[in-house]
Amino acid sequence: MILELNFETILFLALGSITVLTAISVVLQKNPVISAISLVFTFFSLAGVYGLMGAIFIATMQVLVYAGAIMVLVVFVLMLLSQRGDQLVNFYERPFRVLGLFFLVFSFALALSQSLLTGIPRSLEITKGVAKTDQSSAYQYPIQGDTGEIAKGNVASVGASTYLDYALPFEMISILLLIAVIGAVILAKKKLIPQEEIKDNTL
Amino acid sequence: MNPTLSGVPVEYYLGLASILFSIGVLGVLVRKNAVVIFMSVELILNSVNLVFVTFSKALATISGEVIVFFVMAIAAAEAAVGLALVIAIFRQKKSSNVDELQNLRW
Repeated sequence: MILELNFETILFLALGSITVLTAISVVLQKNPVISAISLVFTFFSLAGVYGLMGAIFIATMQVLVYAGAIMVLVVFVLMLLSQRGDQLVNFYERPFRVLGLFFLVFSFALALSQSLLTGIPRSLEITKGVAKTDQSSAYQYPIQGDTGEIAKGNVASVGASTYLDYALPFEMISILLLIAVIGAVILAKKKLIPQEEIKDNTL
Repeated sequence: MNPTLSGVPVEYYLGLASILFSIGVLGVLVRKNAVVIFMSVELILNSVNLVFVTFSKALATISGEVIVFFVMAIAAAEAAVGLALVIAIFRQKKSSNVDELQNLRW
């Protein structure tokens, strides 16, 4: 297959190579904190790939849930475990390294925003991005009922499908999250009662 | 089925997903730190999400993206419980090395 180097393919190759490199860095780095930072970059570049595909809702969820919530949890646990905190470099002693890192992060953010702009379908055909063709109109989701409404766009289609077709799994997910939160609190809390005072006859 | 998504062939997305999955499996097998193993599991879940979104876009059905949303919720639950387990084990063993956990061995 001949590689056709259009703008989207170059964006995909850039984001995909960042994804693979940072994923390898997650596995191979000795310091778990650097692994966590690499994992944040993996999640962001995957969000860029989702945006390139036009899955705007999933890209947003990727940044919010994975790069936001889960990574904060991981870094917090790493802080509690206090593993090799002394190895963190003081970045201000190396100005050129700081500038290089800033440049890398800036170009990364530029690639992310470009991929989002490419993925969002535009109504005007002259603007950059995918024109509203058969591909974007294929996601219009029919909302059942008397009104004959149609959910247009990615987020509206995902929302309509979630609350119409997948309403029961959605509610079950909420119960699962509640149980997980209770279980996490019970597992992670310190035992307030001393060990001798526990007289449990059931065990 | 669309052969390309935004001008990129579908096989590229699937190839990226398979590479990510392999790296995640490698991390689970190689690393000893429980938190890093946990992060590798997140990599595996992300690669599966990528496959879901790719086929959802290629087949023009919205169900795949809804299922990715559910996978993310389950990953969040797994994160909460798994990291609480790591903290509980660290409190007893003073270590998060999975090779030192041999309580269930007989």
